[in-house]
Amino acid sequence: MKILVCIKQVGDDGDMNRFDAHALEEALFIKEHSDNTMPEPVSVDIVTAGPSTAEKIIRRAFGMGADRGFHIVTENSDYISSFVTAFGLSAVAKKTSYDLILTGIMSEDMMAGQTGPMMAKILNLPCATGVIKIFLPLTGKTIKVEREMENGFRDGLVILLPAVLTIQAGINTPRYPCLSNMLSANRKQILSLSSEDLFWEPIRARESCIGMEDPEKARTGRVLEGSVADKAAQLFSFLREKNLI
Amino acid sequence: MKQILVIAEIFKGRIRPVTWELVAGARKIAAILSQTRNIPGKHLPCIQIIVPSDNPKPLAEKISEQTGNAVIGLQIPGFKTYTSDIYIDCLGQLIREMTPTHILAAHTSQGRDFAPGLALELNAASISGINHIRFDETGLFYSRPVLDNTKNMLVRPDPDRPVMLTLMPGVFKPDSHKKGKTKQVDILKISFGSDACENSRIQPTKILKRPCENQALKGAKIIVAAGRGVEKKENLELISRFADCFSSSAVGASRPLVDMGWIGYEHQVGITGTIVAPEVYIACGISGSSQHIAGMKDTKCVISINKNPTAPIFRHSDICITADVLEFIHAFLTLPDPV
Ligand SMILES: Cc1cc2nc3c(=O)[nH]c(=O)nc-3n(C[C@H](O)[C@H](O)[C@H](O)COP(=O)(O)OP(=O)(O)OC[C@H]3O[C@@H](n4cnc5c(N)ncnc54)[C@H](O)[C@@H]3O)c2cc1C
Repeated sequence: MKILVCIKQVGDDGDMNRFDAHALEEALFIKEHSDNTMPEPVSVDIVTAGPSTAEKIIRRAFGMGADRGFHIVTENSDYISSFVTAFGLSAVAKKTSYDLILTGIMSEDMMAGQTGPMMAKILNLPCATGVIKIFLPLTGKTIKVEREMENGFRDGLVILLPAVLTIQAGINTPRYPCLSNMLSANRKQILSLSSEDLFWEPIRARESCIGMEDPEKARTGRVLEGSVADKAAQLFSFLREKNLI
Repeated sequence: MKQILVIAEIFKGRIRPVTWELVAGARKIAAILSQTRNIPGKHLPCIQIIVPSDNPKPLAEKISEQTGNAVIGLQIPGFKTYTSDIYIDCLGQLIREMTPTHILAAHTSQGRDFAPGLALELNAASISGINHIRFDETGLFYSRPVLDNTKNMLVRPDPDRPVMLTLMPGVFKPDSHKKGKTKQVDILKISFGSDACENSRIQPTKILKRPCENQALKGAKIIVAAGRGVEKKENLELISRFADCFSSSAVGASRPLVDMGWIGYEHQVGITGTIVAPEVYIACGISGSSQHIAGMKDTKCVISINKNPTAPIFRHSDICITADVLEFIHAFLTLPDPV
């Protein structure tokens, strides 16, 4: 069984998107708990689309235990459409016939949550988003999961493989990279690709970013001034006035 | 005539209220288009609401009655529970025969699940999680939260194709007084194989409800809620002591604390936890994500303690306290009693 995990670098520190770390952890957990129950051994590949600095999270993924790493090297850009990313990742996914593709429910920076379900459509695979539980061990042609909905509801699903799942936080606790993996990670080769390697002509986004704004205030917000003790005293008298303390 | 399409959100055979918000969003788009495109002889897009179900007539009639808009009952034989496979295929079949400019769904666990795939099926642009609908001389554009809710990104779709939008729940106010005359209800039958459920690659087994005993949260006058800013599980003890200062209080938490196993799920406030509206909500080291805010925005008075003066939670607060939350609570607990 072959698993692909799509990961993204986010934030000023250039770390792995938190939700993708949960997806990778889940893939590694499946590998460890289904190796004996599946007809063939389980492998976990990762792919990322991002600037050259994204190598950092590929090394981290190797450190956690990923087998192969693909890197679609993109320009450093403020806005990359989920649509374009989904096509790039799908092109890599098509090269190997994966049984399971996992990614985070959304990225912490763009917060769109579109890449996973778009990949599923491009690859013509079934898709479930916000997966909070996967039932192990895997045995064959289907996968049993629970998808999270609002207000504590969950949707139990049995999905035909191959499939795309987007993973919600709370499903597991991502492991730290281990030292022995980290050492071999540095020797591991990253398979780098450019979008020219993947497409005849560039994939064009269907929308563009035209600016950024500070969100407006929903409430007036009186800012308490002074030392920490002053602020504590002010809060105390405010609550006392309201008869709450 | 072109259409602005709204996909009604149906859960367990019922219309979810977010549907009325989608209609409000569609009306806003229609109003902007009529204001900006005064082209004689050209028809403005009309709003149509689509209700997928195996028996859509009663739902469709109810929606039409409530909104006064035209409703299409999309009848899918054998359809029982939502799956993305069925929605993308059947809505795709239906909408391909139409000429929509905009297709609206909710940015909920359901809308997020099918909208991106449906957009590709229809060769449409796709923008998710919209919190404002705006326009300028070039036309409509949309704002959506990014970067942990610290910024809004303004996004404009290409004008030469339809756009699929998912709207943030709780942002667009349903306008109940704007009821029109009851319009047409059409029932259209579209099949997903001979039996929708059997043909789906996704088989729903059952809908589960995570047990949550949230009466304490619902009943409290004051909720003291902890976020990742409390730094360590052990510090929740301090949060409890803070909450004990008040007579009717309960401890709430942001989701990561529940995910990490620091505190039970019954304490989680937010869209995937409990929705609360106490008299006072004290957010301790909570950044203010849209999913958390959606769970407490009807609170009377919001007080926030956060060490980052630009934390998004301060935009949703009546009293803003920039401080290390642990230091602040210590200071509060050791105040000389002013009585
Ligand atoms: C589909 C979906 C559903 C979700 N549902 C929910 C939900 O129901 N409820 C929910 O809460 N979240 C939910 N989330 C998660 C949400 O997106 C955020 O990740 C989460 O709310 C962040 O929690 P936080 O504010 O505690 O942590 P962070 O965002 O990490 O914020 C921590 C804050 O603490 C401050 N801080 C750090 N140290 C200190 C200190 N010493 N003193 C004072 N301040 C400090 C920081 O400045 C920061 O603002 C959901 C996410 C998704 C994708």
